[in-house]
Amino acid sequence: MLFASMEIDDQGGWFDTLHSDEPEKWQDALLWLKNSVIGNNKQKQNAINHGIIPRLLQWLVDGDAPQHLRLEAAIIMGSMAKGTAENINTLVEEGCVSVLLKGLKSPDQAFVESCLRCLRTIFLHNSNCGSLIYQEPSIVEDLVEIMPRSVCTQECVANILASSCKEPEHQSKLCECGLIPKLVDLLAGKVYKVQMPVLKCLAGIVRENGENCVVALTAMHNNVPLPDMLVQLMLRDRTSEMQIVAAKVLAYLCGGGALAPQDPRIISKTLPCLIRMCSRDRTLEENVEGAETLAYLLEQDGELQRVAAVSDHIIKTLAEYLKYTDVQQINRCGKRIDINWGIEMKQAAFKAFAALGANEESIRKQVIETEHLMEYVVVGLNSGNMKVAAAAIRCLHSLSRSVQLLRTTIQDHGVWKPLMKIIQEGPEELLPVASSTLCNLLLEFSPSKECILDCGAISVLVNLAARPEPNLRLNGIWGLMNLTFQVEQKVKTKVVESIGTERLFRLLSDPDANIVMKTLGLLRNLLSNKLHIDHIMGMYGNQIMQAVVFILEGEHPIQVKEQTLCILANVADGDKAKDLIMGNEDMLKKLMNYMQYQPDVSLQIAAVACISNLIWSGEDGACARQAKLSEMGVQTLLQKLLSTTDTVLFEKVRTAVQQFS
Amino acid sequence: MERGLLLERGPVDGGVEKEEWMELLSGHHVGRAEMNKLIMNYLVTEGFKESAEKFRLESGIQPSIDLNELDDRIKIREEIQNGNIESAITMVNNLHPELLDNDRYLYFHLQQQHLIELIRDGRVEAALDYAQTHLAERGEENPSILSELERTLALLAFEEPEKSPFGDLLLLCQRQKVASELNAAILETDATPKLANLLKLLLWSQEELDKKKIRYPRMTDIATGTIEAPK
Repeated sequence: MLFASMEIDDQGGWFDTLHSDEPEKWQDALLWLKNSVIGNNKQKQNAINHGIIPRLLQWLVDGDAPQHLRLEAAIIMGSMAKGTAENINTLVEEGCVSVLLKGLKSPDQAFVESCLRCLRTIFLHNSNCGSLIYQEPSIVEDLVEIMPRSVCTQECVANILASSCKEPEHQSKLCECGLIPKLVDLLAGKVYKVQMPVLKCLAGIVRENGENCVVALTAMHNNVPLPDMLVQLMLRDRTSEMQIVAAKVLAYLCGGGALAPQDPRIISKTLPCLIRMCSRDRTLEENVEGAETLAYLLEQDGELQRVAAVSDHIIKTLAEYLKYTDVQQINRCGKRIDINWGIEMKQAAFKAFAALGANEESIRKQVIETEHLMEYVVVGLNSGNMKVAAAAIRCLHSLSRSVQLLRTTIQDHGVWKPLMKIIQEGPEELLPVASSTLCNLLLEFSPSKECILDCGAISVLVNLAARPEPNLRLNGIWGLMNLTFQVEQKVKTKVVESIGTERLFRLLSDPDANIVMKTLGLLRNLLSNKLHIDHIMGMYGNQIMQAVVFILEGEHPIQVKEQTLCILANVADGDKAKDLIMGNEDMLKKLMNYMQYQPDVSLQIAAVACISNLIWSGEDGACARQAKLSEMGVQTLLQKLLSTTDTVLFEKVRTAVQQFS
Repeated sequence: MERGLLLERGPVDGGVEKEEWMELLSGHHVGRAEMNKLIMNYLVTEGFKESAEKFRLESGIQPSIDLNELDDRIKIREEIQNGNIESAITMVNNLHPELLDNDRYLYFHLQQQHLIELIRDGRVEAALDYAQTHLAERGEENPSILSELERTLALLAFEEPEKSPFGDLLLLCQRQKVASELNAAILETDATPKLANLLKLLLWSQEELDKKKIRYPRMTDIATGTIEAPK
C-alpha cells in the first residue's frame, strides 16, 4: 500500500517528486498527496509548507497539461479548502480563485465539477471572496450557464452565487443574467441539498432590491408563482433551516414592496413561521435568525405588529432571550467558531421588541411592563459590545414613543448617562436613532431633568444642531425645544447662551421647514412665562424682533408664519417686552394685515391673540396702548371680525373686544 | 398503507387479549406490491446487487437506482469486511473526494478500524505509530472521540486483547458496523432501509404502550414475528 507504513521522513520524497522533472511519477505522487491530505488538517498544512499550492496552480493554469493530472490537482485543491481558515486564506492569497474560475471554461465536465467544488468551499468560508466573480464580465454568465448541468453544478454554483450578492450592483448583475427563473426551476427540483443554497441565493438577490423583488414575484415554475412555492417550503414537515430561509425570502419580498403585508402568504404564513422559529424548542441559531427576520418583517406594517403581539406569547418568549449568557463553541469541518450566544440572543430580542413596539402604544405598554425587560435594556445600553448597545438603543427609541410609560424607568434605571455616552462616543450610524431617543425622553418633564442637565445634555444637543446633516440638526433643535418646555429660567438662559443667537437665527433660515418650525418652537418655549419673557427680551429683544420680521417677510409655509405670530403673542405678554412691538409701526401694520388674512384662519387667530395681549386691560399702560391701536383702526377691525363663522377666532376676538374698556 | 388499527374504546386497563388482537390483525391487508417495494429497497440500500437483479426479474419491481452504481459501494464494503481499511479509504477518496473531509467522525472510525486491524495482526509498533501520526489530530478536532480512542489503544496493554474488556472491538461485526456507517454516508440520504424504519416504529409503539401500562399482546421476536399473549 502506498502510505500504510510510510514514515513522516519519507514524505519529503513524494514532495520532491512533485516538484521534479519526472512526469511519469507525478500521477502516483498526486495520488499519494490526495490520500494524505483528505481528512488531515496537519497534512494539509504540511503540504502548504512544502510549496504545493503554486505547484498545483501550475497544472491548473496549463491547459495543455494532461487532463488526469489537472483533475487530481483540482481535487486536491478542493481538499485543501476543507482545512482551517488559515488554509483557505492562503488559497485566496495565492490567487487560486481566479485560476479555478478560468478552469470553468474547460470542456471536461469532471474537471469543471472539481473546480466548482473547490470554489464553493472557499466562497462559503471566506467572506472576502464576494466580489471576485465580478472581476470579468463573462464569469457570472458562465456560472449561470453551467449551473443546471448536474446536481453537483447546481449545488456548487448556487452556493457560490449566494455568497456573492451582498452589493446592489452584484444583485443587479445576477438578475440581468436571468438567474432568478433558473433558480426557481431548481427550487422545484426537490433535491434538498440544491434547494437550500438556491433559497439562500434568492434571499441574497432580492434583499432591499425593489426591481429584483418584482422579477422574483412573477417568476414561475409550471404556472406556480415563486411565493406560493415558498409557502410550501415553510410547512412544518420541512426542516427548520428550510422553513426559515423560505420565510426570509418572503419577508424580503414584502420589504421590497412586491408583496403587501396583508397578503395571506405574508400575514398568515410567513409571520407565524417566524414566530415558531423563536420558540424555546428550537436551536439558538434558529431563535436568533427567526427574531432578526421577524424584526425586519414587522417594521413593514402596523397590522403585522398587532397580529404578532398576540401570537404565541411572543413577548414573553423574546424576553427569555435576554437571560442567555453562554459562549459556545461550534465545530464545523475541523474549524472552531466561538459564538457568544448571550450577545446574539440579546441583540436579536431588542431588535424584535423595537419592531413590535414601533407603532402601537398598547404593544409598547406590554413590552415595557414585561418583568425586568427595561433593566435589561439599560444594561444593554451600558454594554461594551456595540452590537448589543445598538440594538438596545433601537429598542429604547421605539419604546420612547410612549415616553410617559417610561417614567419609572427613567427615574429608577438611569438611562441618561449611557445614552449620552453613545451619542458622544458611539459610532456615527447610531447618532440619528440615539438623538431621536433623547428628544423623545426629554418630553417627560419629571424632576430628573436635573440629571439630564448634569450629563451635559445641552452641549450635546447644541453640537447636534450645528451638524451638516439635516436629520441630526433637527434632532438637536427638537431636543432643545423639548428640554425648555416649562423649565426654570436659569436653564432657559443656559440654553440660549450655549447655542448663541447667531446659530439660533441661522437655523431660522434653514432650508428644512421642519427645522425652522422646531426652532420657532424653541423660541416659543423660551418665551413662555411672563418673567422669563422680559428677561430674555431684555437681553436679545432686538435680534428676536429682527428674526420675526425676517420670517414674516419671507417665503414660508403657513405653519411657520403661524408659529412666528404665536411667538409675537408671547412677546406681547411680557410687561416690558410689549414696548418692542408697540414701538414698531411696521410690525403693528403687519399684525393688522394678518388679522384679515384669508383663507387660512390660523394666522388670524394668532394675530388676534397677539393684539389681545397688547391691549390686556388692567396692566400698566394698557390705556395708552389701546388708544394707539384704536387710532390705527384695530378696534374697528376687531368689531368686523365678530362676524366670523370660525368659533375659535370668534372667542379670541370677543375676548379682545372686551379689553377695550 | 391502510389506516391504523381501530381499537374499541374500552376501559384502558381492560387491554386486549391475544385472540381479539390476532383477529384485528388479520383484518388488515398489506399489498404484495408494497411488500416487494420494501424488499427491493432493503436489497438496494444494503448493496445486495445480485439479489436485487434476480428480485427485479421475479417481481417486476424496478429498483430506485441503476444497479451498476451498487458495484462501487459493494467493493468498498468488501474491502472493509476483509480488513483492508486503507484500500477502502483510497477507493472512497477516488469516488467521493469530499466525503471524509466533510465527515471527520466517520474518518476517525475508519482509521480506528485500521488501528484495530494492526493490533489484531500483532503489529504493536506500527499501531502506536499510526495512532500517534494520524489519530492524535482527530482527538484535537473532536475531544469527544478521545474515550473511543482510549479504549482502542487499551487493547495494546493486553497480552490477549480479544479477552480484554474491550475485546468486542476485535470482533468481525465491528467491521460490519464501520462498513454500514460508510455505506450510509455514501448514500447521503437516510440510509436505513424502510423495512428497518417500520420495525423501529413497531418497537417504539410497544414501548409507549408499556409506559402507559396497557395490556396487549407483544411481538417478542422480530425475526420470527412471534406474538405472545399479555400476562
